[in-house]
Amino acid sequence: MAAKDPDSGGSGEILPITPSLSETTSGVTAASQATQPPSSSSDVDTVYVPSYSRWFTWTGIDDCEVRSLPEFFNSKSTSKNPKFYMYLRNSIIKQYRDDHPRKISFTDVRRTLVSDVVSIRRVFYFLEYWGLINHSSSSSAKPLKWDEKSAGDASSEPPTTAKETAKRICNGCKSICSVACFVCDKYELTLCARCYVRGNYRVGINSTEFKRVELSEESKKVWSEKETLQLMEAVMHYGDDWKKVATHVTGRTEKDCVSQFVKLPFGEQFVKESDSEDSLEAFDQIKGSADLESGGSDKEGSSPNKRLRLTPLADASNPIMAQAAFLSALAGTKVAEAAARAAVTALSDVDYEAEKNATGDPNRQDANANSGGEITNSERDWADAKSLIQKEEQEVEGAIKEIVEVEMRKVRDRIVHFEKLDLEMERSRKQLEDMKNLLFTDQLNIFFHTRKARKSEDRVDVKT
Amino acid sequence: MKALGSSGWKGPVKFRMPTAENLVPIRLDIQSEGQRYKDAFTWNPSDPDNEVVVFAKRTVKDLKLPSAFITQIAQSIQSQLSDFRAFEGQDMYTGEKIIPIKLDLRVNHTLIKDQFLWDLNNFESDPEEFARTLCKDLGVEDPEVGPAVAFAIREQLYEIAIQSVASARESRLSKKGRRGSDHGSASKASGLSMDLVKLFSFKSSVVRKRKDLDVYEPVVDLLTSEEVDALEAREERHAR
Repeated sequence: MAAKDPDSGGSGEILPITPSLSETTSGVTAASQATQPPSSSSDVDTVYVPSYSRWFTWTGIDDCEVRSLPEFFNSKSTSKNPKFYMYLRNSIIKQYRDDHPRKISFTDVRRTLVSDVVSIRRVFYFLEYWGLINHSSSSSAKPLKWDEKSAGDASSEPPTTAKETAKRICNGCKSICSVACFVCDKYELTLCARCYVRGNYRVGINSTEFKRVELSEESKKVWSEKETLQLMEAVMHYGDDWKKVATHVTGRTEKDCVSQFVKLPFGEQFVKESDSEDSLEAFDQIKGSADLESGGSDKEGSSPNKRLRLTPLADASNPIMAQAAFLSALAGTKVAEAAARAAVTALSDVDYEAEKNATGDPNRQDANANSGGEITNSERDWADAKSLIQKEEQEVEGAIKEIVEVEMRKVRDRIVHFEKLDLEMERSRKQLEDMKNLLFTDQLNIFFHTRKARKSEDRVDVKT
Repeated sequence: MKALGSSGWKGPVKFRMPTAENLVPIRLDIQSEGQRYKDAFTWNPSDPDNEVVVFAKRTVKDLKLPSAFITQIAQSIQSQLSDFRAFEGQDMYTGEKIIPIKLDLRVNHTLIKDQFLWDLNNFESDPEEFARTLCKDLGVEDPEVGPAVAFAIREQLYEIAIQSVASARESRLSKKGRRGSDHGSASKASGLSMDLVKLFSFKSSVVRKRKDLDVYEPVVDLLTSEEVDALEAREERHAR
């Protein structure tokens, strides 16, 4: 039988690792072990492995391992091979069992294994998920004093409970039989219809040896006093949790428990009185079921109990809707409406938040949130800074203008000065020219005069 | 991966750890709120990035550290990974390098000193397997020694790979036109590597010289608690 995923595999009961580990086909031992209470608290040496991890062996690799950790089996890298995987897996399990019952942490393991830490982490998570390490053998609910007593009761009367549960629980798939079951008196086996058809029984048994027993006509209608007493006790302790009530009341389905409870003479009173209480619980449970719905379908087929919780009001095809319808019938229409509305709004909030977280990094998210709050402040600061900058620019421009003006004035003064000098030069040059001219005319005059004088001299000389 | 076998010049190879698994050595040393967390492990850089946060959270939960450590651990791992990835696009020349790898580490009560030769060109080498075999052969009982040895080897290989990238870049810049034999000489001149030809020529023998024997022999010491305390105190004084 292929190893099923732990979530989908029936009751996930605990089997101790002893040499007499029961196979699924040995019905008697399985039945008796199924009803044995987990007395592991006293027995420290026995390591408990859940039944859905029965495939584990030290030297072999099962299909579910190949499926869950394909990186070791796809021969993409030379060192991530099956042998390496077995080294990791066996070391982790051995380390856990050496220190049992202390839980082993991932850091303990990764410090002692020679490998990259992410491969170790994947193998570690895989083993933890399948209960091969850190499996707590006690059930998740904390046992009340009253629960222990009932567990003691159950252990003290195994034969009767075995017989009664044999009527209900199939030895093959450990699920509660519904419509019909097949009983083999020779070997005291009870199989549900599916297992019978599949042939899920021991080799030596012939199919003809099974007798079909219709459960629908069994002693459903007749409630013994003991059963009623158990029912009342269960309801008093568990209130509205009909699953727990049904498990406490041996041999009755939830539907039966509820209908019987309602039928009790004071049942009506209970239902009416605790209406307010019911409404809150109904709200919680509806929200829980709605969350289950949004959370994914991995819980949907988790136990056949849900399938059986049929009510005449609801369509039995969707188990969760059936549960919701049943609870709303219990709580009353107005209350159910209010609860549903509240659940829907809560759901939408959760979705919105999940979206927000999914779309961005938490870091980026924080940055966005911070910046959104301070956006007006920063804008204002930015505007202030800008105006300051502009003012400074203007000041600088003014200063530069002044400087330029001063320089220009200086230059102009110098030019004026030079012009004056130039003028002076011209004047003096002109004067010089005039004087030159005068001199020249004077020279000419003198020359003419001397010529005249010489000429007259010559004439005088000639006369005498 | 290039085919091995040709002596002399090898073409440039894209940067990666010269081992079969391209794993990065990560070292953490974080101090916050009066607590100090020191750790060293190997990481596969091809793993998705969310693994960093998952690892950080799990480690903090297991060691019961204050939750401020989660972001610091994650940041430190991320920065070392991005440093590694920054090298990844570049070329490195490994040349004909046989390098000595030295181990000198103390893990809890076990002290290991060793030295051995490692072929940098062998891209199928596996430090993890070496560490496992070493611990098994030396009968080391403390299971934490194996990862420490593998980490030490990886760290040294990483350092040398980085150096070869740097030297490749330098040689490319300084000798733009010329290629070929220059690279071989550059790698040989790096000092750490050993000349294969000289080592295994027919003049010398493969057997190690007697004076080198105890250098290359592994030494495992088991310390008592007092010695461990004394060593730790000395280390802290050095660190300050």
